[in-house]
Amino acid sequence: MKKLAGIVSILMLLLAVGCSSQSSSNAGETNENGEWSPTQPIEITAPAGPGGGWDTTARMVSQVFEQEEIIDQRLPVVNKAGGGGAIGWAYIAGKKESPYHLFVASPPLVLVPLNGQSEYDHEDFTPIANVIADYGAFVVKADAKWDNLNELFEDMKKDPASVSVIGTSSPGSMDHMQFVKIAKAAGVDVAKIKYLSDPDAGGLTAVLNGSVDVYTTGVAETIEQVKAGKIKVLGITSEERLEGEVLEDFPTAKEQGIDETFVNWRGFFGPKDMDPAAVKFYEEKFKELNESPAWDEIRKKYGWGELYMNSEEYSEFLKTEAESMKTLLDELGLAR
Amino acid sequence: MFYLSFYQKEVKEMLKKMNQRIALILAAIAVFYLFLSYNLPKYPNAIIDADVVPIGLGYLLLFLSVLLFLDKTVETEAEKQKRNISKSNLLVLGVVFGFILIYISLLEILGFLLMTAIFIFGCSLFLGYKKHVTNGIVSVVFSFAIYALFNYLLRINLPSGILPF
Amino acid sequence: MDAFQGLMSGFQVAFSLQGLLFVFIGVFVGTFIGMMPGLGPISAIAIMIPITYTMDPTVALVMMAGVYYGAIFGGSSSSILLNAPGVAGTVATSFDGYPMAQQGKAGKALAIAAIASFTGGTVSVILLMLFTPVLSAVAVSFGPAEYFALMFMGLTAIASLSDGSTIKAFISATLGFIVVTIGIDSQTGTSRFTFGNANLLEGIDFLVIALGLFALAEVCTLVLNRKDDSMNNNKDLGSLRISKQDLKEMSGPMTRQSFLGFIIGVLPGAGATIASFIAYITEKKIAKNPDEFGKGSVKGLAAPETANNAATSGAFVPLLSLGIPGSGTTAVLLGAFLVLGVQPGPLLIQDRPEIFWGIIASMYVGNIFLLVLNLPLIPYIAKVLRIPRPLLISLVIIFSLIGVYAISFNTFDLYLLVAFGVIGFLMRMFSFPPAPFILAFILGGMMEQALRQTLTISNGSFGIFLDKPIALTLIIVSVITMLVPLFTKKKKANVEKNIDESV
Repeated sequence: MKKLAGIVSILMLLLAVGCSSQSSSNAGETNENGEWSPTQPIEITAPAGPGGGWDTTARMVSQVFEQEEIIDQRLPVVNKAGGGGAIGWAYIAGKKESPYHLFVASPPLVLVPLNGQSEYDHEDFTPIANVIADYGAFVVKADAKWDNLNELFEDMKKDPASVSVIGTSSPGSMDHMQFVKIAKAAGVDVAKIKYLSDPDAGGLTAVLNGSVDVYTTGVAETIEQVKAGKIKVLGITSEERLEGEVLEDFPTAKEQGIDETFVNWRGFFGPKDMDPAAVKFYEEKFKELNESPAWDEIRKKYGWGELYMNSEEYSEFLKTEAESMKTLLDELGLAR
Repeated sequence: MFYLSFYQKEVKEMLKKMNQRIALILAAIAVFYLFLSYNLPKYPNAIIDADVVPIGLGYLLLFLSVLLFLDKTVETEAEKQKRNISKSNLLVLGVVFGFILIYISLLEILGFLLMTAIFIFGCSLFLGYKKHVTNGIVSVVFSFAIYALFNYLLRINLPSGILPF
Repeated sequence: MDAFQGLMSGFQVAFSLQGLLFVFIGVFVGTFIGMMPGLGPISAIAIMIPITYTMDPTVALVMMAGVYYGAIFGGSSSSILLNAPGVAGTVATSFDGYPMAQQGKAGKALAIAAIASFTGGTVSVILLMLFTPVLSAVAVSFGPAEYFALMFMGLTAIASLSDGSTIKAFISATLGFIVVTIGIDSQTGTSRFTFGNANLLEGIDFLVIALGLFALAEVCTLVLNRKDDSMNNNKDLGSLRISKQDLKEMSGPMTRQSFLGFIIGVLPGAGATIASFIAYITEKKIAKNPDEFGKGSVKGLAAPETANNAATSGAFVPLLSLGIPGSGTTAVLLGAFLVLGVQPGPLLIQDRPEIFWGIIASMYVGNIFLLVLNLPLIPYIAKVLRIPRPLLISLVIIFSLIGVYAISFNTFDLYLLVAFGVIGFLMRMFSFPPAPFILAFILGGMMEQALRQTLTISNGSFGIFLDKPIALTLIIVSVITMLVPLFTKKKKANVEKNIDESV
């Protein structure tokens, strides 16, 4: 019995040693003009499990790239869930310089590291292109006493503890920060905001049954409830009013005299020090994707807004984004 | 008669000790957990901070382990029987877990297909399955089926490892 | 348009050739994926979404609903046969289903589960059809205080989940609660007990615990008894025969739990898991022979299987009538609606009656399909147990490993799985029941969150519970049900003691 166990173990180990020595170092082709093109499948990582926003975006992008033959390679989607994204980022960070690994990201890539929950932040990756933008909405029950953001913030300035705010994610993450960013610009003492989180998406329920006053969420989630007259949207975080039925009725914070915005951006990154020729290749392909009718259709289906940025614009954007978030988190005592 | 009752008494003593030993281990866990809970970073704006519930749980576990220590109920024969494992059986268990650990550590290097086939074949062989041909067929076909199902039908990618597909 | 007319148009959709075909495809894919390791309803729906793009929305959604309840239906097989619950909703099924299968009655166990699921599914669809508009008010009536009370009620049942030492049951539960505190705290963002390990930030997944404590611990026992080949000679293994006596026993739990499970399913956040546990516990409490529970009781198997399917239909109430997803699964299902350009919510029943009623009507058909599809397969599925022990053990191990790997694609979780396998085995050896552990793990996290949300709203005052009649009632009822058996037990123990001494 013992002998058998030994033999099987040794067999397994031998196989591992024999095989791990061969590593792939195929970096693709760069022709004399400095143009790069892929020669093997490109792996897109969704740093979350199947079914969520990151996963959906990755799968849709992969599908359009393949079906519209924008990129002449397979683009399998790989899920690396855990740590609010941190596990996936660590995985990509280990793929140094590889031009065959992309991943999808959004504000948590900035926020999670600032909260001290990931050792890698956006500067450890190469921004390639942003494709989607969403905006935040602040919602109250239809019969609530506030009719606009100023009335709400006036009450919060007098007594921050009198108003409770709920969002899906924990303090220091997106739902919380989009509210804090706007409230701060309106002059509210943001450290005293009473924020609750409900990861099971119970925020809307809590506002509807009156347990909590304000729900901070994404614009798209509010439309149907507004139509049914159950809730009202006090303000949204975009620069200008959005287009579309119902959507166009939502007032921005800006037009209410609060000079602040928040973008829930979503785009693609590669490992650090990716070959500039490869970055250029992807940049163009994402531009092509962004302009394709197939992608437009998908964007409409999911209610995603358009926001294309190329690599350079993207890194500038991220820099200012990270700075403003850092200031806010410091003030909240959440930066670690 | 005398011997029997004497024997029973001794067994009783031993088992009581077993429960008490477990109680001590649990108390140690509780203290360690409490230590960690008290050292959780404070969130300045929270009304009920992150440490409140863990501290409560820590004391609860401590209290329960004291109760277990003082508990006088004797284990039934059936309960005792569960621990009656021969050395050779324990060794077999250890080896199976060893196999599992090897499987996990090599899964992402060698790939799902290869590792799973090797594991099923090796583990069944080790546990005394004699029909080598059936074993080989099952391990290969099963791995292939699951791999194809996940990677091609469901498009959830299991690690491909060193194999090119 | 009134409800009757609506329902008629719904049945037209469901009974059209296309409707029938896609309901069938939906439930077939659903059960099949539900049986796969690690693939529950969430992945089943997520996988199917891209396929629906070009389809007619009504037909597509009828199919997606079928995938959803089909996956819950299929999930029970691995619980019963291998003690390896693939989704949270089927953990309670393994309590009595697995022992029954081990007694050589695997076919019967699977048949009972199928019939109970069918009943729960069908009765709850009737309720769904009749009461959706009324119940939408119930769905949002629960705030954090009420949820806390509901979870508390579930937790007080711990003592009744064990046959042996009550202290050990409570220790198990406390440990389960402690394990669920690992990870980022949702209310403050503080990472707790993660030791700087990013893999622990999102907490330990339910499947790691369930497959560790149940499946891997069972693997250990199987390894120890690997020479046992009693299943091979058992000719009744795949037999579906259920006696009249069994049917009579099942009818009570099935009726009660169809209703109870449905109501719990209506509450967002509660769902199939909690429904199945509460079903198991209430049936054990009111049973004349509670000692049989955990040893292959017909009632103990029928109750949670009825409830988890009933809760699945219940979850459609907030989804369809309010657009509120009550769970991770219904959130993904909501996504499927949106992709097809259908927005569930208060206006759905007016704007798209054919979709609203089509889904409900199709669920009758779907449940019949599931029963017809599953019953003939049972004899073959049950034969899994006839696989020679050594091979079966290897396959169960791989099943558990894939199940966990498919959640995060991360080997760290696999090491955790092994650790919980060892813990589960040790718990067995020292007679600590695993059921309270997993119950506290499921309820504890939600209970802590609800408690802290409540107290944040009230600025730290417990007085808030006095202002909430539902919450207060639930708490009082659970305290009473917890205290009463303590007294009666003591009396019994005293009597026994007296007898002992007198002898």
